Order: sequence, then C-alpha cells, then structure tokens
Amino acid sequence: MTPPPHPASSLLCLSGVTKRFLNVVALEGVSFDVRAGEVHAVCGENGAGKSTLMKVMSGVYAPDEGTLSLDGQALRFASPREAQARGIAMIHQELNLVPHLSVAENIWLGREPLRGWLVDRRKLRADAQACLDRLGVTVSPDALVSGLSVAQQQMVEIAKALSMQARVLIMDEPTSSLTDAETTQLFRVIHELKRAGSGIVYISHRLDELEGLVDRVTVLRDGRHITTRAFAQTCVDEIVALMVGRTLDEKFPPARRCPTGETVLQVRGLRRAGAFGPVDFDLRRGEILGFAGLVGAGRTEVARAVFGADPVDGGSIALAGRALAVRSPIDAIREGIAYLSEDRKAHGLAVKMAVAQNITLANTAAVTDRRGLIRAGDELAVARRYIEQLGIRTPSPRQVVRLLSGGNQQKVVIAKWLFRESRVLFFDEPTRGIDVGAKVAIYELLDQLACTGIGVVMISSELPEILGMTDRVAVFHGGRITRVLETRATSQEEIMHYASVSASPQEELLAS
Amino acid sequence: MNERQKDLVQKFAALGGLFVLVTVFSLASPAFFSLGNGMTVALQVTSIAYLGIGATCVIITGGIDLSVGSILALSGVVAALSVRAGVNVPLAMLLGLLTGAACGLVNGLCVTLLRLPPFIATLAMMLVARGVALQITDAKAIGGLGESFAELGNGSLWRVARIGADGFPDVVFPGIPYPVVLMIVLALGAGLMLARSRLGRHLYAVGSNSEAARLSGIDVRRVTLFAYVLSGTLAGLTGCVLMSRLVTAQPSEGVMYELDAIAAAVIGGTSLTGGIGTVSGTVIGAFVIGILRNGLNMTGVSAFVQMIIIGLVILVTVWIDQLRNRR
Repeated sequence: MTPPPHPASSLLCLSGVTKRFLNVVALEGVSFDVRAGEVHAVCGENGAGKSTLMKVMSGVYAPDEGTLSLDGQALRFASPREAQARGIAMIHQELNLVPHLSVAENIWLGREPLRGWLVDRRKLRADAQACLDRLGVTVSPDALVSGLSVAQQQMVEIAKALSMQARVLIMDEPTSSLTDAETTQLFRVIHELKRAGSGIVYISHRLDELEGLVDRVTVLRDGRHITTRAFAQTCVDEIVALMVGRTLDEKFPPARRCPTGETVLQVRGLRRAGAFGPVDFDLRRGEILGFAGLVGAGRTEVARAVFGADPVDGGSIALAGRALAVRSPIDAIREGIAYLSEDRKAHGLAVKMAVAQNITLANTAAVTDRRGLIRAGDELAVARRYIEQLGIRTPSPRQVVRLLSGGNQQKVVIAKWLFRESRVLFFDEPTRGIDVGAKVAIYELLDQLACTGIGVVMISSELPEILGMTDRVAVFHGGRITRVLETRATSQEEIMHYASVSASPQEELLAS
Repeated sequence: MNERQKDLVQKFAALGGLFVLVTVFSLASPAFFSLGNGMTVALQVTSIAYLGIGATCVIITGGIDLSVGSILALSGVVAALSVRAGVNVPLAMLLGLLTGAACGLVNGLCVTLLRLPPFIATLAMMLVARGVALQITDAKAIGGLGESFAELGNGSLWRVARIGADGFPDVVFPGIPYPVVLMIVLALGAGLMLARSRLGRHLYAVGSNSEAARLSGIDVRRVTLFAYVLSGTLAGLTGCVLMSRLVTAQPSEGVMYELDAIAAAVIGGTSLTGGIGTVSGTVIGAFVIGILRNGLNMTGVSAFVQMIIIGLVILVTVWIDQLRNRR
C-alpha cells in the first residue's frame, strides 16, 4: 500500500476527493499529489476518472468530499480562473483556441497587456514570440489560428499555458496530434519546467512515451485510486495490467494468418499540386497496408483523394482492374471504397442523431421500402446486429451518438461502413483517443475485416501499431511514398528513417 | 428515460401548454371556446403552419429562410395577375406556386452553388421578391378576381346546409375550411417525409454534420436545394391561399410572416443550429402563436402588448428547451 500523500511535501495535494454526477460516482475517495519539480503521470482507461480528477484540480469542478491544498494550505477554487490565478494551468485535449484571432492574441486572451485602455500590440506580439521561441515553434505570432494544423494549434495551446507561468501544469494528451520532432521539443520544455520547480501532471494513452519523462505514475480505475509509485519501479506492461485490471498479454492479434489475394486497388501517379504526389501504390485483397509517416506527410490527403473527398490534379485509380472516375465520395462509396476519418466528430458522425441512424447513414437505401420510406424495424434490427457484433456499449440503438465514449463512437463509424459492404477501407488513425481495451477490440476487428477479403489501409502515427497490424507499410515523406516495406522484415528505426528523409536518387540505386 | 420517451414528454409539455392557454382564454372570454372561433383560429394558423413547415425543413439543414413573407406576396400577385389576364383559376394558382418554387430554387442555388450564407441569400430574396411584387402591381391591390378565385380560401369540406323555411340556407355544420384541410394534409405529408423517408433522414444528417453527411455519400447540395425549394413552394401556396381568402391580391401582404414561421418552428423545438426539429412540434408552435393572438384579441389586449407577450413566449420556450437539453 502506498503511503497517503503528505501536504507538506507537495505542491498541490488532493485527499479523499469524491465527485458524483447525479447517481454516477466519477471519483471515489481519490488522493493525489504533485511535488515541485516532478512529472506525475495519471493513467487509466476512458471513464476511469482522469478528466474529472483534472477538472477538480483546475477548478472546473468543486469536489463533493475531500480537500484540496496548495503549498500545504487548504483551499477551494470557485472557478478555473481562480485556479489559474493560483498558478494552476491546464492544457485541454480538445483545443480551446479562437480560430479568427492570431496566435499572439490567443496566447494572451483575457490577459492582454494594456497601454492605457488599448491593447499594447507590440508587447503582445513580443511576449508571444518569447513563449513560442521557448517551445522552439516556428509558427508566426501573427498567423491566424484557423490556418494552423492541429499539431501547431496544440503547440500554441502549450505556449499559452507556459505564458501563465504556471507552477502546476496539467497536460491532457498533449502529444496526441504532435509529430515526433514536436514531441521531442515538448519533452525538452517539460524537463526545463521541471528544473525550474514546476509540478507537471501528465495524462497520456501513449504509455511508451512515459519512459524517461515521468517520475511517478498514478493509476485510476473506475473512479478509484489503484496505485501511485515511482516510475522506475514499474513497467509499461504492469501499468496497463493495473489500468484494465487484467493481464494483457498481447495488444495485437496474433500474426496474420490469412493469405492476401490479387490486387484490389491500384493507384498510379495520383497528385495534387502543393499537397502530395505523384503517389503509386497497390492494395491486395485481405491485406492491411500501413500508411506511416509524420503528421503532414500527405497520408490523409492521399486517402481522402482516393475517396473523392478532395479534388486531384491527375493520376488514375483502378478497382479490381477497372479504371474508376471518382469525383465525389458518392462515386467512391458506390464502388465500395470507404474512408474513416481521423476526426470522428467533425467528419465521421452526425452526433445529434441516434446510433441506428448513423449506422445506416451511408446505406439508407438498404432499409428503405419501395415508397421511399425507411423501415424503422429493419433499421433497428441492423443496428442491434452491429451493436452486438462490434460490442458497441450503448443503452439503446436510439441513443444519441454524442453521449457515447470515443471508442464506441469509432465502432459506430466502423459499423456504418460494414453495413455498406465496402471492398476497400481506409482507416485514418482508427485508435486515436481511445482507451486500451477498445483499441484491442478495434485491432481484432481490422484483422477480421481483412480476413474476409477486404483491402484495408491503416493510417497511423503510432509505429508499434503499424508493426503489429500491417502486412506492408507505405512510408510517406513530403507528400510522396518514399518506400514500401514488408512489415515482417522491417523495424521502427527503418520506418522512421524513410519517414524523415526523402528518398534521394543515390539511395534508390543502393536499394535496388 | 430514453430518447423516445423524452421526445414524448416534450410533445406533451407543449400540448399541455396549449391546453393551459385554451383554458385560460376560455375562462376569460366566453366567446373564445366555440366552434366558430375554433375555426377562425385554425384558419389564422394555416399560413403560419404552411410557412413553418418549410422553415422547419430549412432550419433542420442548418439554414434559414427570411424570404417567405415576400415570396408569398409575389406568388399571390402573380396568381391574381394571371386571372386578370384571362388564365383560369387552377392554372393561375399553379403559376403562383411555381413562382414560389422558382424563388426557392434561386435561394437554394445561392446557398449551394455560390456558397452564400443562407441569411444573406434569403435576405436578398426578401427584398427582391417584395420589390418585384410591388413593381408589377404599381403597389396597388388587385381586386375583382371572381368567385372561383375565392373558393380555395373560403370554401369548406363537408359543409352541410339546408334551405330553411325562409328560403335562406341554415348551416348545420360549417364544414372544415379548405385551408385547414390543406394544413392537415401538408403536416402529415411533411411529417412522414421528415420522420420516415430517406430524404428526411438526409435533411437531418446534413444539418447535424454536413461534412459527415458528404463523406457518407449523401448529395448535400441536392438535399439543401430541396429544403429551399420546398420552403419557396410552400410560401407560394400560402400566397395563393391568403389572397384567395381576401379575394384581393395585396403586394404588401405577408410582411414579417417569415418571423412567425421561424418562431413557430423554434417554439416547437427546432434547433437553429440544425439537425433537430419535427413537423408536429412546429404545428403546435403555430397554434401557440395563433391562440395567443386570438385569445389576447378577444380579451381586449392591445396589439402592441401582444407583440411583447409573444416575444417573451419565444424567449421562455427556447430557454426551457435549452435547460432540458443541458441536463
């Protein structure tokens, strides 16, 4: 048993915190502390209570029971603003930036330096530049946030927290959309903050990145505190086992045993000026082809282009040997090509609609009678079938999708395309923001899909996932495929190598 | 409580509100609760309901249509001018309807092809249609349209009358006015379309998340276009019915009706952010507005105070709606 945290030695200390929502207990008697100069990781599956814990720390929620103390002094935060004033800053996973304002204006939003009653624009810009420099970000302080990539926005969010000179910094999945270079940069900053005496609470689903970063780790499960221990005395496998409460021998399905067939999708010379290409690749029946590469290397863009979601400047696409003219997703879907977006809420789901309605959305014709009316009974039956088959956790097929967890939302999107009976499926970051248990379910599902003869393309930024799941890997760099590798015969290092450098002519010669 | 039960509770809450209104007004004014006044209210509600159904479809897609008041004036005027030019009445009314549809088509094309914000596209149409209506009539009312022109607005279904001893007809049952019949048919048709047809499903999907709808293979442009054409056509119909009821075509008719239509939809639970709304809700909303106006009139409340009350009702209903959804 771990000793209870002691307020005297810690910067921020919570003891016996309980938080209920109506009848649901989100946190039950949880104790937690952050010391000055440490990085403290919080691990747990979705719904374990991590977000609630963070929101209690950052003043969003007041605890129902238990106490909170800062520097050994008991206190209550009336609002996040009050917590900020006390030096507690939180970097939200969902970005909280104002798109129509510039980077500098966002960083200092609500705290603009004034000259008289006007904003001191020069100071605003200079101070913002200083924060960005400290992070090593090359974004201009004058750039509009709406024009930035998700990764860049994430860095701006982090710069904003830095600007608050926070003593306790709470980071919720800060690397989920960062490239490896940006992640390295972020970790450097975290080390620097540590040395300066800040306490950092670090939440991440990517357990492998905790190595060398984290001092202590706390595991939550079902709203309860499971353990807190020094990271040096544990390992990733043990943490995962504590999180899920069972031992997880193998995250990935066993080595793929179904043979791949003939080429189902052939892409030649696909290009769009300023975005990608020319790109060539083949996808076989029953194959899982990985698209690896850094964020912004053109993987999503190529997938969306094949799907007809974005225009192309040239190139050809052939499905089972037949040339296709794909001008819109309508054409692609008719031919049996599907694309599951990395951004479920923005591009994949009609979140205000019911689970059943989302599942049939791409194929309403199949549940429509001759008069053009939807057969509600059939639709519900279809929904129930997929809810059972994919293990979607929902109280009812009529539940609004917005209320489901991330993993279950992803399964609804998958169900939508299964019901459409697609021949080629593009999965764009299918496990982003999903807890470990749901990830395993999705891996197994992808594997089963491939075994039924579907060609699967998996875009992923997580190399272990690429290595564990795919048959071959197409590595992207700067909008082109630099190399296609046999997964069995490659390594993370080799993939990273081709993802970081463009294939020069000499290298091509050496390889041949 | 699942979604369906919640939905039912909301319906009954709205219906309950209506019931309370009817009770209060009945107590305040004995003349309120009578078959004759009931028909009057129903008749008055019809135009709000027609326009409200169109507004509901447009708002479900995440858009807005500000032009229906002007379109109804233009359509009515076109129908009347056609009659004056010697076209027979059914054909003239069809021309009026087509005028509305054409205006809606222009709205829809501005939104889908030119990618103009719906507010702007339909605001422009509101001015243009009104201007055309005033221009082609010299801003004068068109009368002398004949009895057959009045039939649609003033006739009734199942009217039973006997010739009495004095030689005048005694009305046994006043019948159901054609506009009310039309309202029932439209509400049932549009309700079925939204709740059960593929097209209806696609309207909700576009309003809920148009990008997800597009990536699911839904022709977002065509669905959006449909909503505006439907709204325009219903405005054309409203124009024909209204002008027929008055047996005169007024180019200045229907000012601010678009706001009544939107208010009816919103009171009925349609969300201005799109993706949510029902025809039954909108019809209830239309009746709330109609009964409030009628009841306040009969209890002698001034038109100005009526505006204040209806304004507050919109605020409160939407606020309650949001409170419920936040939970």
